[in-house]
Amino acid sequence: MKNKGITIFLIALAVIIVIIIVNEYLSDKPDKGKPNPYQYSVEEFKKIDPSLIRYKESVNFRIGFDNPAAIAIYNDTIYAAGDDIIKIIDLKGTLSGQINLPVSPHTLKVFNDKIFFAAGNRLFVYNMSDESTSEWEPLEELSFITAIAANANDIFIADAGNRRVVRYSPEGHLISVFDGKAEEGALHGFIIPSAYFDIEINDEGKLWIVNPGMHSLENYTFEGQLRSHWKHASMKTEGFSGCCNPAFFTFLSDGRFVTSEKGLVRIKTYKVSGEFEGVVAAPDKFIEDGHAPDIAADSKNNIYAMDFDKKVIRVFNPVD
Amino acid sequence: MKRKLLYIFLTFIFCITALTSYSQQQRFPKPEFSSGYEQPDVVTPEPRSGGFEYLDVAVLLVVLSLAAWFALRKRSRQGILWLSVFTLVYFGFYRNGCICSVGSFQNITLSFFDAGYSVSISTLLFFLLPLIFALFFGRVFCAGACPLGAIQDLLIVKPLSLPKWLNKTLGLIPYIYLALAVLFAATGTDFIVCRYDPFVGIFRMDAKFHMIVLGISFLLMGMFVARPYCRFLCPYGVLLSWMSRFSKWHLTITPSLCIKCKLCTTSCPFDAIDFPVNEKEIVQSGPGTKKFIVYAMLIPLWIVAGAFVGERSHLYLSRANQNVYLAELLISDPEIKNDPDNIDVQTFLESGKTMETLVEEAEVMRGQFKTGSMIAGGFIGLVIGLTLINTTVFRKRQDYVPHRGNCLSCGRCMDYCPVEK
Repeated sequence: MKNKGITIFLIALAVIIVIIIVNEYLSDKPDKGKPNPYQYSVEEFKKIDPSLIRYKESVNFRIGFDNPAAIAIYNDTIYAAGDDIIKIIDLKGTLSGQINLPVSPHTLKVFNDKIFFAAGNRLFVYNMSDESTSEWEPLEELSFITAIAANANDIFIADAGNRRVVRYSPEGHLISVFDGKAEEGALHGFIIPSAYFDIEINDEGKLWIVNPGMHSLENYTFEGQLRSHWKHASMKTEGFSGCCNPAFFTFLSDGRFVTSEKGLVRIKTYKVSGEFEGVVAAPDKFIEDGHAPDIAADSKNNIYAMDFDKKVIRVFNPVD
Repeated sequence: MKRKLLYIFLTFIFCITALTSYSQQQRFPKPEFSSGYEQPDVVTPEPRSGGFEYLDVAVLLVVLSLAAWFALRKRSRQGILWLSVFTLVYFGFYRNGCICSVGSFQNITLSFFDAGYSVSISTLLFFLLPLIFALFFGRVFCAGACPLGAIQDLLIVKPLSLPKWLNKTLGLIPYIYLALAVLFAATGTDFIVCRYDPFVGIFRMDAKFHMIVLGISFLLMGMFVARPYCRFLCPYGVLLSWMSRFSKWHLTITPSLCIKCKLCTTSCPFDAIDFPVNEKEIVQSGPGTKKFIVYAMLIPLWIVAGAFVGERSHLYLSRANQNVYLAELLISDPEIKNDPDNIDVQTFLESGKTMETLVEEAEVMRGQFKTGSMIAGGFIGLVIGLTLINTTVFRKRQDYVPHRGNCLSCGRCMDYCPVEK
């Protein structure tokens, strides 16, 4: 036979081709697939070195909300918002008062006998002295208020919908708006991929704002000029990761930062300089795929975390 | 002056499109951390941004025009060869074999059957341009504009001439492949022509090992059986062949009168040269007319038989559809829901879709497969019937001419012809 060797070679190749095609056709089925080699697992990052944990959970308060929303502490009294109620609770967890609201708030701030709370693009002020509630001029339709900061002369709101901070007078007059953009090359401006955009004024009267997309905390003048910032973008314990973290932050009495993160749910403390200090609550304290807890601190540096998944306020005391 | 202005305008447009894609990339800073996570390889190349997809269309148009010019006017095998090298580099290795005319008919098919799926103008042009050129100039796309053809063409070493019966039998496979590809695309099940493309993995350098072996096997086979994929698998080749049979102009072996020197007889590695027919031999060979009538009468039977086989096989074919297979699997093996490693099952469970919805969708899909399989089977039956009839048809031919349907317009035969213009 002419070209016998080539013919055998061709037949062998034809067999290989048929086997590969049939195998490819049969193998790509739901019960034949291999485990996902690209599964994204963060389990490794949930592990925390026990020596870094500086706080211990002591107690938790069941607050009775179907939809807990926010927590604030003022004069060592807890103000917890949820459903369409604000509950006033002492540090031992005893309910001392309750305020019914016209809306379900998303965030709240208490300052000088006034409770500021917001729902969507609407901001309300509840005056504790005469028990009256007033509503300020609503923001634009796309606005979404995620946090409020206040001192004697200024009220700031973080508008995640428009990625900006709006400054008001205590009477509700709009003073200015800024979007965090600094001079060329310094900072990007606020990057808000999701509705987490926190803002606080510390005891020194300094305005701090989270830039979650940059994993940074930024200090601005009240006019919106960037003064300083620190950032920790890292998958390690000392850093912030994911699209947008930290989700919430607050201050301890000595000016240190407490941060709460989503994704890898955890609470940590940072020094005034922004240097990582320790862990308050490790990821194993929270449910799988849980929400970042809102946080507040009392004068003794105890940290109160509103756990949205378990619907309780969890109290963490420093371990000395 | 006008030309200068045109150049300036085109440069400006080019800069704008480039700037747009650059600014889109830079509008959001990349998070500066690494988790050590290994990103999966992207299976298909990223779509072209802005006007670049039309650049590909323009390149295809130019290559097709040049191929037609080299094959019909210039009669230059050398030109076609270098053109196919360019095609291999540009459409193959640079554009990663995508977008590709060969698989484009699947996109077009799906757009007819799925109201939510639309094809871009560039995809439509990639589908139509080679067919239009084939209608006017023959299969010049296969000659110089197809990267799949080019990679095989460059590796032909010692082409063997296959027996006629084997050529005819293997030549049925592209029709079967075309019918199945249309069926699978129309039902939104899969684009099998892309999935089983043996060379795309080589172009992208990222295929699974066995697909690389498949590509290499085809190339090795192509050393002795020239362009096996083009001749015995390519479903788009079927459409091109249909068009080319009616082509207004077509490559000719001789530029003038054939002197029957027979020098070209062994020049075609694709067995696509029709020899002159000796009328006496045909008449002596048997009762052709009788055979023709019998075969013609058998055609409806072939169609019915094909439709019957299609109907019988629709259950098996429909299992290629993810919904059908998943529904059957979850019904027959409910425990598989607890397998955390089964990505498809876990994806279904997390999608929120109910089992009832899945089963309903699977039943609808089976119905579509039943109809589609019968049509596909009937089509294949028709093709078999016509192929048989074709064996009985006598065509008077006095010269050596390329077969208009099978000729890939590569131009090899032209170099063998001693006749001067």
